[in-house]
Amino acid sequence: MQHELPHTVQEHASETFGPVPAVSAKAVNMRFGNFYAVKNASFQLEQGRFLTILGPSGSGKTTLLRMIAGFLTPTSGEIFIKGEAVNAVAANKRAIGMVFQKLALFPHMTAAENVAFPLKMRRFDARTIPDRVLQYLKLVRLDGLENRRIHELSGGQQQRVAIARALVFEPDLLLLDEPLAALDRKLREEMQLEFRRIQKELGVTTINVTHDQREALVVSDRIIVMNNAEIQQNAAPIQMYRSPENPFVATFIGVTNVFSGKLVKRVGDTASVLVGEQELSGQSRLGSSNITRFESGAAVKCALRAEQIRIAREGKPLDKTDFSFTGRIADVIFEGERQIYVVDVPGVSADPIRIFHHDQDEFATHHIGELVHVGWNTNDMHVYAGIS
Amino acid sequence: MDALEGVFAVAWPKGGGKLTPYLLLVPAISVVGLLVIGLVYIGDSSLRTLDRTTFLFSENYSLENYRRALSEGFTYTIIWRSLFGAFVVTIITLILAFPYAYMMVRTRSALVRKALLIALFLPFFIGQVVRAYGWLIILGNQGIINDALGLIGIEPLRLLFNYPAVIFGLVQYMLPFAVLMLAPALTAIPEEMEAAAGSLGADWFQTLLHVVLPMAKPGLIGSGIVVLTLTLTDFAMPAILGGGTQDFIANAIYDQFFRTSDQGFGSALTIILVATGSLVVGIALATFGAGTLALGKSENEVR
Ligand SMILES: Nc1ncnc2c1ncn2[C@@H]1O[C@H](COP(=O)(O)OP(=O)(O)OP(=O)(O)O)[C@@H](O)[C@H]1O
Ligand SMILES: [Mg+2]
Repeated sequence: MQHELPHTVQEHASETFGPVPAVSAKAVNMRFGNFYAVKNASFQLEQGRFLTILGPSGSGKTTLLRMIAGFLTPTSGEIFIKGEAVNAVAANKRAIGMVFQKLALFPHMTAAENVAFPLKMRRFDARTIPDRVLQYLKLVRLDGLENRRIHELSGGQQQRVAIARALVFEPDLLLLDEPLAALDRKLREEMQLEFRRIQKELGVTTINVTHDQREALVVSDRIIVMNNAEIQQNAAPIQMYRSPENPFVATFIGVTNVFSGKLVKRVGDTASVLVGEQELSGQSRLGSSNITRFESGAAVKCALRAEQIRIAREGKPLDKTDFSFTGRIADVIFEGERQIYVVDVPGVSADPIRIFHHDQDEFATHHIGELVHVGWNTNDMHVYAGIS
Repeated sequence: MDALEGVFAVAWPKGGGKLTPYLLLVPAISVVGLLVIGLVYIGDSSLRTLDRTTFLFSENYSLENYRRALSEGFTYTIIWRSLFGAFVVTIITLILAFPYAYMMVRTRSALVRKALLIALFLPFFIGQVVRAYGWLIILGNQGIINDALGLIGIEPLRLLFNYPAVIFGLVQYMLPFAVLMLAPALTAIPEEMEAAAGSLGADWFQTLLHVVLPMAKPGLIGSGIVVLTLTLTDFAMPAILGGGTQDFIANAIYDQFFRTSDQGFGSALTIILVATGSLVVGIALATFGAGTLALGKSENEVR
């Protein structure tokens, strides 16, 4: 990837006309000693959008968010809110609402007192405070519970208080640091939609941090994927899913098979590669510049999503796929709404290939040990430059 | 080990499981019990008057000792001096201990934390009497400070044997106790709370006032009560730094027991001291509620 870096930086540096972005970061670094928690992060977020920062644990998501909130000052680079550089602005002087991972509700106050707190601190007209508090408690559907202490509320209700408290002073920006991580799945999915509803209703620009890829795909207008302190890709959910920019993004979102191979040749957007003993072709994601670097023989990684692979019983060959191989079912994993076949295809990959079952007519018809045909189309396999 | 477990198995039959928690209380209760016996004994002798001619105690009970104690202005002076001193020391100690404990808990540098902890424990190793004696050397008429003042031509100041000296010594003595009791209370406040207050618009002072102090209340009350009672009953600091002119209740009691040998009167003073202390703690608990001592379930635990 490294050779592409100058290219992307240039893209960010180019002047953007049109409305001022709600938030932007320019080449932001955060270093703790010699360790980079966030490295060269640049992005822009338009007014009213819902951005999710997605990435594995330790990838720097919270650190990036804390810099935007003003709890940390970048080692270098600059963060802009509504076009203004804010590195030197203290957290309590920024108009940012934040919902914390552990909520950080004040236990010695009632729900209403918690929501009123930012209004008092920000010197809102005291006469308007009670109405405003009630209005926001209604927004999060907590009217009637305003006089409960925090420990007298359920987990989901506490979430709602935290959201109301972060929004009640009409901040420029709402930051969510995995506030849903501790909830059980059903409540989490309910709250995800709730966040989305409230965000749409108020139109507040929101940055959400999570390592739940489903949440990212469901609630966001845009997704930034981070890994090892660096932004890997910044795209709309569908684009992120359909055209991941590198093998990390491809494997981090969705269930993806990766084969290592060698480049044979590249013609336009199609790359021919040698994987195992097979010559396959796929969509080239080798980048448009620096063609000479990708001579034949260069190491490549091929990514293929589990749902793009077809599977059929032996003797009933696949007719509509560009490639087809014979394999043997190694395992069948039942996940409720779907089924995953783990298939050994020795000619293509040393590791077994994971395939989602598609055929509604023939649900769960393959058994462990059975011989099957597996196949896919050229367009569905993405070819990336190999790391080595 | 097996042998030990065998002995335990005999001493602790399986059926005794329910009783075990109560059995574990026995040692503590016996110690407290001894104290109660002592108190009963003191209560008994406080009701007997000393016959000055025979130096024997009367057979029959009377309230004469209490009448004498409560009719003498000296008693009130001492009680007032002790109570007022205890309040002043408690307040100064808490004001000093809070930032110390806060720094110790919140600092990012392990080195600073260790240094603060060692500085805190050092006086414990020295002990109260030696420490008070140290103050004599520093603050005395021929002490280090007056020597230094003499060098720049200032007349020796009387820095010892007065009330401020006793207060000063007591604050210095109580500080580690207060810090050690405050530290866990402050540790229990998640740092995120302060960040949250900041993002909601509070500056550091508002955060302290509206978030940190209220959440630290149990620790403040707990350490306040400990400092208050320890000061109220202290003996060494008033004796050494007050030089006999600044007696607290405990010093007066000591005098009665070991100087005048009027055990009856001393006992009456003791009972008055115990009653005063109990009253003060009782008022404090009634005002702030026993719940603030963080006994039982903590309110800070948010699910
Ligand atoms: N104050 C700090 N001092 C030193 N290292 C830090 C500090 N804060 C964070 N880090 C390191 O920076 C890296 C990124 O941390 P960060 O909290 O941003 O991760 P994250 O993506 O939010 O992870 P998670 O999903 O587990 O919350 C981690 O390796 C972490 O150990
Ligand atoms: Mg995090």
